[in-house]
Amino acid sequence: MNQFHNGMTLFLSLLVEAMPFLLLGVLFSSLLLFFVDERKLAEKMPKNPLMGALIGSTIGFLFPVCECGNVPVARRLLMQGVPAPVAIGFLLAAPTINPIVIWATWTAFRDQPEIVILRVVFSLLIATIVAVVFSFQKDLTPIVQPAIARYLKFHRPAEHKHRFQSYQKKQQQADTPSLLQSGTYFLGTGQAMRLETAATAVASPAFSDGKPLGAKLRLVLENTVQELRELGGMLTLGSAVAAAIQVLAPRELILSLGAGPITSVTAMLVLAAVVSICSTVDSFFALSFASTFTSGSLLAFLVFGPMFDLKSIGLMLAIFKPRAIFYLFALPALLTFLLTLVLNLYFF
Amino acid sequence: MPSNPNRRSSQIGKKLLPWLDVLAIGAWGILLLKYWLTNKLNLLINPNYFGLVIAAATGLLVVSTFKAKELLQHRGREMVTNIQHLSLFPPGWGSALLLTAAIFGFLVTPQVFASEKALQRDVSELLGATRVKPQAFRASVPPEERSLVDWVRMLNVYPEPDRYQGSKVKVQGFVIHPPELGKEHLLLARFVITCCAADAYPVGLPVKLPETSEQYPPDTWLEVEGQMTTEIIAGKRQLTIAAKSLRKIPQPKNPYSY
Repeated sequence: MNQFHNGMTLFLSLLVEAMPFLLLGVLFSSLLLFFVDERKLAEKMPKNPLMGALIGSTIGFLFPVCECGNVPVARRLLMQGVPAPVAIGFLLAAPTINPIVIWATWTAFRDQPEIVILRVVFSLLIATIVAVVFSFQKDLTPIVQPAIARYLKFHRPAEHKHRFQSYQKKQQQADTPSLLQSGTYFLGTGQAMRLETAATAVASPAFSDGKPLGAKLRLVLENTVQELRELGGMLTLGSAVAAAIQVLAPRELILSLGAGPITSVTAMLVLAAVVSICSTVDSFFALSFASTFTSGSLLAFLVFGPMFDLKSIGLMLAIFKPRAIFYLFALPALLTFLLTLVLNLYFF
Repeated sequence: MPSNPNRRSSQIGKKLLPWLDVLAIGAWGILLLKYWLTNKLNLLINPNYFGLVIAAATGLLVVSTFKAKELLQHRGREMVTNIQHLSLFPPGWGSALLLTAAIFGFLVTPQVFASEKALQRDVSELLGATRVKPQAFRASVPPEERSLVDWVRMLNVYPEPDRYQGSKVKVQGFVIHPPELGKEHLLLARFVITCCAADAYPVGLPVKLPETSEQYPPDTWLEVEGQMTTEIIAGKRQLTIAAKSLRKIPQPKNPYSY
C-alpha cells in the first residue's frame, strides 16, 4: 500500500512537473501555425541533408521547449513538409540545445564547465549524425505512423504550391480555354472549375491565407485541444510506467554499477531512459550522482536522457512507427556510449 | 422504423467526446490549482516551479473554458474537424487517460516520503553525503542555527569532520535505522527535492544516542540538540551528532528541503 502511495506520488509529481512544459509546447506549436508560414519555412530549409540536420539541430535555440514540448513541434514541422533530417535533428537536439537548458546545466555544473560545453557539443554531433542517417530514407511512409504518411502523401505543401503556381502561370501565358485542359471539372457555377485545383485549395492548411482572425483563433484552439488530448494521454501512460519502474526496481542495483568506466556509462544510459526527467531540470538530477559516478557517465545521462526516455516513447509514437523509434533509441544510445566511454578512458 | 441503438449511441458519443476534452483539460487546471491552494504542491515539486504550475493551471482553464464556450455556441451544428487529425488511440482515449489521472490526483493525497524510501538507496551514499549543491551553503550562520541540510552542504565543501568538533547543533529531521548502524546510533535525515518528487533524495547525519535507538521508531520526527563529534561508522570517519536531548516533534508542514 505504501509502495502504491509512493508510486502515485511519483506519478503525479512527474505529471505536475511536465504539464506546464507540455502546455507551453502545445501552445507554441499551435501558435507556430498562426504566426509562421511553415510552408515558407519548409521551402527555405536546405535540401542538403547535412546542412538540414545542422540547422534542424540548432533551431531549438529559438524555441525553448523541453522534450515533452518538442515532439508536437517536430510533428508539425514534419507535416508541413520540412525535410526529415531537419525534423529529426530538431527532435533530438532541441531539448538540449536551448537557452533554458544550457543555463540550468551551467547552474548545476558551474565548477565543471567542460560538462556544460561537452553536453552541447555531443548533443549537436549525435543529433546531426542521426539526422543524416535518416536522410537516406527518402520515402517516409515506412517509418511514420500511417495517418501522417497519408497526410504527407496528399499534402505535399512545398512542392504542391510550387507546381500549382507554375501551372497557373502557364495557364495565364497560354490563355488556353480552361476546359481544354485535361482533368475533371465542376460545371454549372458560372465558371468551370478544375477538380484538381479545387482539391489543392481545400487541402492546404488554412492558416496563412487571409482567413478572418476569429476563424484562425478557433483553429489554434482546436489544435491546442487536440494536441493536449493526444500528447497528454501519452504523457500519462509514460509517467505511469516510469513511476512504476522507479518504485518496483531496486535502485541499489542501478547504483552499485557506479564506478567502472563502462558499467557507469551503461548504468547512466539505463537510468536516463528509466527516470524520464525533463531536460530543463535533469542536470540537477545528474548532479546528485556527481560523487558516485564517473564524469563521462554523467554526460551520457545528460546527452542521452533528453533524446530518449520511457516517457517520450509514448510521445514519439504519435509520429513514428516502432521500428523508427528503435533506431532513434539505438543510434543515439550507441553514439553516446562511444563518445563518453572515450572520454572516461582517455581524458577524465 | 426502429432506430439502430448502436448508431444512436455512437451519435451520442460523438456529441459527448468534445465535452470529455473540456472536462479532462479543466480537471487538470483545477487539480493544479487545488495542489497550490491546499499547500500540497511542495510535496510534489520544488517551489521554484510553482509559478510555472500556476500559470499552466490558468492556461489549461482558459483553454477548457474557450472550448466549452465554442461547443455551446455551435451546438447542433456539425463541428469542423481538424484536417490534421491523427490519433493512435480510439477517439476519446487520450482525454479519458488524462481525466483518469486527474481523478486519481483528486483521490490520492500525495505522500510524504519516509524512511522506507530512503533505505531503497545505498546507505553508504547517505553517509557519504556529497550530493548537495555546494553553492547554496551559508557559512555565516551560527552553528546552532544551521539546518540538517546546511550541515550536509557545509560538510560537502569542507569534508574533514574534526573541523566541526564541539560545535553546537540543533537540527530537525526524521529517523532512519540503516542496518549498518548499531543500537546506539540512528540516522537523522531529510529529503531534498531539486525538481520534483521523482528526484527526491535523502541527506542525513548519524546521531549518537544517550540510550538505545529502539525508543525512536523509523519516521519519527525529532529535534536533536547536542555537539558535533567524529565517530567511526561502517569503517569510515564520520561527522556525528552526540545528542544531549532528543525531542519528538510533529511532522513539519514542509517536510522537504529544496
